Amino acid sequence: MRVLRLALWRLAASLPTLLLILVGMFLLLQLAPGDTVDALMAQMGGGDARMAEEMRRFYGLDLGIAARLGQYLMRLVTLDLGFSAIYGKPVATVILERLPPTLLLMAASLSFAFFFGLLFGVVAARRVNKWPDTLISMLGLVFYATPSFWFGLMAIVLFSVYLQWLPAGGFGDITQNYTGFAAMLDIARHLVLPTLTLGLIFLAIYLRIMRASMLEVLSLDFVRTARAKGLSETRVVAKHVLRNAMLPMVTLIGLQAGTMLGGSVVVESVFALPGLGRLAYESVVQRDLNTLLGIVFVSALLVIAINFVVDILYARLDPRISAES
Amino acid sequence: MNGPSRRETFLLGAAALIPASAVAQEAPRRGGVLTVHFSTEQRILNPSLQASTGVYIVGGKIQEALVDLDAEGRPAPALAESWESAPDGKTHVFRLRRGVTWHDGKPFTSADVQFTAMEMWKKILNYGTTMQHFLTEVQTPDPHTAIFKYERPMPQGLLLRGLPDLGYVSPKHIFETGDIRQNPANTAPIGTGPFKFVEYERGQHIIAERNPNYWRNGMPYLDRVVWRVVTDRAAAAAQMEAGQLLFSPYSALSIADMQRLGRDPRFESTTRGNEGNVRNNTLEFNFRNPVLADIRVRKAIAHAINVPFFIENFLGPFAKPGTGPIPSVSTDYYPGANMPQYGYDLALANRLLDEAGHRRGAGGVRFNLRLNPAPWGEDIQLWSTFIQQSLGQAGIRVEIVRLDAAGFLRSVYNDWNFDLATGWHQYRSDPAVSTTVWYRSGSPRGAPWTNQWGWQDERIDGIIDNAATEVDPVKRKALYADFVRAVQTELPLWMPIEQIFVSVFNRRIRNAGNNPRWASSTWHDTWLAS
Amino acid sequence: MRALKAYFRSPAALVGSAILLAVVIMGVGASWFYPGDPLGLAGRPLQWPGANPRFPLGTDSSGRDIAAQLFHGARISLLIGFVATSISVVIGIAIGAVAGFYGGVTDTVLMRVTEAFQTLPNFLLLLVLVAVFGSTIETVTVAIGLVSWPPVARLTRAEFLSLRTREFVQACRVQGLGDVHLILREVLPNALPPVIVYASVVMAVAILLESALAFLQLSDPNVPSWGNLIGLGRNVLRTEWYVSAIPGVAILLTILGVSLVGQGLNDALNPRIASGR
Repeated sequence: MRVLRLALWRLAASLPTLLLILVGMFLLLQLAPGDTVDALMAQMGGGDARMAEEMRRFYGLDLGIAARLGQYLMRLVTLDLGFSAIYGKPVATVILERLPPTLLLMAASLSFAFFFGLLFGVVAARRVNKWPDTLISMLGLVFYATPSFWFGLMAIVLFSVYLQWLPAGGFGDITQNYTGFAAMLDIARHLVLPTLTLGLIFLAIYLRIMRASMLEVLSLDFVRTARAKGLSETRVVAKHVLRNAMLPMVTLIGLQAGTMLGGSVVVESVFALPGLGRLAYESVVQRDLNTLLGIVFVSALLVIAINFVVDILYARLDPRISAES
Repeated sequence: MNGPSRRETFLLGAAALIPASAVAQEAPRRGGVLTVHFSTEQRILNPSLQASTGVYIVGGKIQEALVDLDAEGRPAPALAESWESAPDGKTHVFRLRRGVTWHDGKPFTSADVQFTAMEMWKKILNYGTTMQHFLTEVQTPDPHTAIFKYERPMPQGLLLRGLPDLGYVSPKHIFETGDIRQNPANTAPIGTGPFKFVEYERGQHIIAERNPNYWRNGMPYLDRVVWRVVTDRAAAAAQMEAGQLLFSPYSALSIADMQRLGRDPRFESTTRGNEGNVRNNTLEFNFRNPVLADIRVRKAIAHAINVPFFIENFLGPFAKPGTGPIPSVSTDYYPGANMPQYGYDLALANRLLDEAGHRRGAGGVRFNLRLNPAPWGEDIQLWSTFIQQSLGQAGIRVEIVRLDAAGFLRSVYNDWNFDLATGWHQYRSDPAVSTTVWYRSGSPRGAPWTNQWGWQDERIDGIIDNAATEVDPVKRKALYADFVRAVQTELPLWMPIEQIFVSVFNRRIRNAGNNPRWASSTWHDTWLAS
Repeated sequence: MRALKAYFRSPAALVGSAILLAVVIMGVGASWFYPGDPLGLAGRPLQWPGANPRFPLGTDSSGRDIAAQLFHGARISLLIGFVATSISVVIGIAIGAVAGFYGGVTDTVLMRVTEAFQTLPNFLLLLVLVAVFGSTIETVTVAIGLVSWPPVARLTRAEFLSLRTREFVQACRVQGLGDVHLILREVLPNALPPVIVYASVVMAVAILLESALAFLQLSDPNVPSWGNLIGLGRNVLRTEWYVSAIPGVAILLTILGVSLVGQGLNDALNPRIASGR
């Protein structure tokens, strides 16, 4: 109950930010050359000017900017995201359809980056300045420097074209009517390469942070005390160090939620995943204002939610904070 | 009536294309799922409201047109069994097929034709609004007769060639209430065709299943058609190879992959079955730029670009030099290559530019131009780069302005903010449908793919108008020859490359490509070998 | 001086500097190594590396020399990285300094704006900016600068918050020195080292962002950028994968160089966290 109240409060506190983003985006897109009817014309392969005019009226594009912005915000109050001109259905439906692949991809990448970042960071810190540390640090630097879309393309060349181990793209094989476990396995197979591609740079960042913070914590007094008590090194790390050393990493997740969502635009494009990132790209190109604003709204909510969860996690992990509250 | 009938000629023609052994022994096999590459997501699937290949590829299996095309590209009966026209071209009678039902069980009648023609083709359908502009009414003396009345003469050839694309019929009882554009049947179409719509999952797939009550008895052979949305070309090629896709229509794969798969014995890359879907790569000039208003400069630009070299090295076997706005596959109106042409001659280009007073300045540059390429099609990207490279040789520095679809249409056709533009001209069966609009003056500002160049020629306008209402086919063909000669002389825009769309088939598909708009057609006789 | 010495003692810094130097030489000497237009038609398209001695790295699908594009592309990537980083650092420092120095309502408002920018996925904003203002090299560079400043602002603000209460600042206040003088002359120099280190991260991200845009074919097609080449190579990925592979390695090495230099700077300027303590 307290968590819920806290969540609502946080949401309320984010409202000005949210409003700023939506209004800013709305005004920015008014400056774009061409509108959604132009994009529709391109999709249709042409039509006459009378028809274009009628369509503009139909989609309310003939109204003034202020009037449309006002309408949009009024609707938003009732949580109505509007209607998508390009997709021909409510924006909420369009986004809901595209949300699962992105959420899955983000969750998988985050888990992958977090787990291996943690692992490599700990190993490197415990063998500091020895060859495992050097190797891991080198790898971290190389991963960090690898453009994700390029890594994705090269992974396709290697794993899909030459080795033919994994599918080159898509979110599932719909020619086979998989159900249940087989369907899950199928989706998992399709997500392996995208997960690696999106997670790589975060893995690099996490392992660097983890290594640094392990080193920092290992030098603190309470660790020395624990060691002095005669606990084995593994126990010291597992019981005392890890928990504290993880704090900066957890913070980082919150800070980078937006970046990760942005990265999924590129990754979904490389692997032809029908996710939110691709939808965002398409709606920019199609000038589908309602859909784009809807995505901005949803992704902002997502970022806020992730940050909220991170804060709770942080409080659970950090003994000082939980003691205060 | 001696000699082979049309149907027999068709069979002979088709047999010539397929290895004889394959045809002789095989009887059509029932069953199977045809998986089709669907590369551009569509807002609606109703071909009565939207004329585009992206709609036909799906909607053309579910809904049917009044008239279809046979193997040689002649108008053939579909929902209309026969037709006749009054000599003045103002009345056209269509006798409709009996015993046809909509997928929801209601009978198909002339009321459906009347409703679709007046409310959809004339008012909403792109290109339909132009073609049916002078349609005054559709009379329905009985449920199986529809009489089209025109205010001005409508050439029968134009009407019959237009209808396979612009003559899809929608059910009146579904659309008569409420806003036609908002009707749910636009994304879940109901038709009379061989396949019934099942579902459309955006970003994923569309599924249609066999219509057991189809009017062609015993057809279709396929159980299902599944269109898979794959926007990435490379991914689509991979799925073709994996057998997840059996057919990729309309040049949707990369040029390299189309050629590569064509060499693989499992596949066939061909223009067969797309003869009705021709496009030209264009070069459009903005006459508001005084440099380009000079015909010597336009000719110099054309002479500076080595089109055969470009085709050979970049486009491969699926393209050939274009000779004008009416492509060579248009059997009825192609005037021949004997028209003014602009071959590669860099020296001549340089001389013309010198004559026009544009001497080379610092760095050998005469002047700068902006080139707006349309953002669709790999060939347009290659072509725009090649134009940039070629004109550089002639001392014209070209800056490519990269815009997305909306930005491109707006900047070129509405804001006139360009020097050169390049995209596709699509020829749709008859020059009057979507070709002469590129040249006719008086097109309202903002209409894409029309004359927005700031160029006007009264004589050419006159030829265009006369040809559009000329009922005599011979005179009509002569008028279009005059038209091509005139525009190739004046060169308000240039259409130097002719490309037929390429289909990539898995060879398991039988009867593939057996009519000139096969990808758009009904697929009632298509079957899959095991 | 001590910092400089420390910098050159770090192997990371040395390797990074060497790589960056090589890229700079490629970029600066591009017109000397490959005079003529790198985007001009050089020969038949899609010749494999080594197949034709004239093109050691082969040609792309538009018949352009990949090696020439690689050299000229170095210039573009460095230029974009440098200019975009400067823009974002200037904006970030300005906002962070004002917010941290004044606090109160100013701080709240500026931090709300920063938060808004951080909540919005930066690549999404970049897409919109490019769609709206066009895909020329100038707009792309400025747009990248505009979306990458928030972390710089936060970092600067944090430094200012801790520095403004220090004694030497208080002393200057008592002397009646103006705010501008305080910010620029007293606080900023002390707040700068971590920001400079962070600038290397911004530069790496800027180069990556441009290449990602180019990959989506949204960057300037009139300049020989590495990302453009990768994007172009995508159409022939299954057979002529070298078109995408070669410029990708170039980007990787450049970013590696930038990161290593950043790490070296960090070790030199922040001896506190120097490794292996």
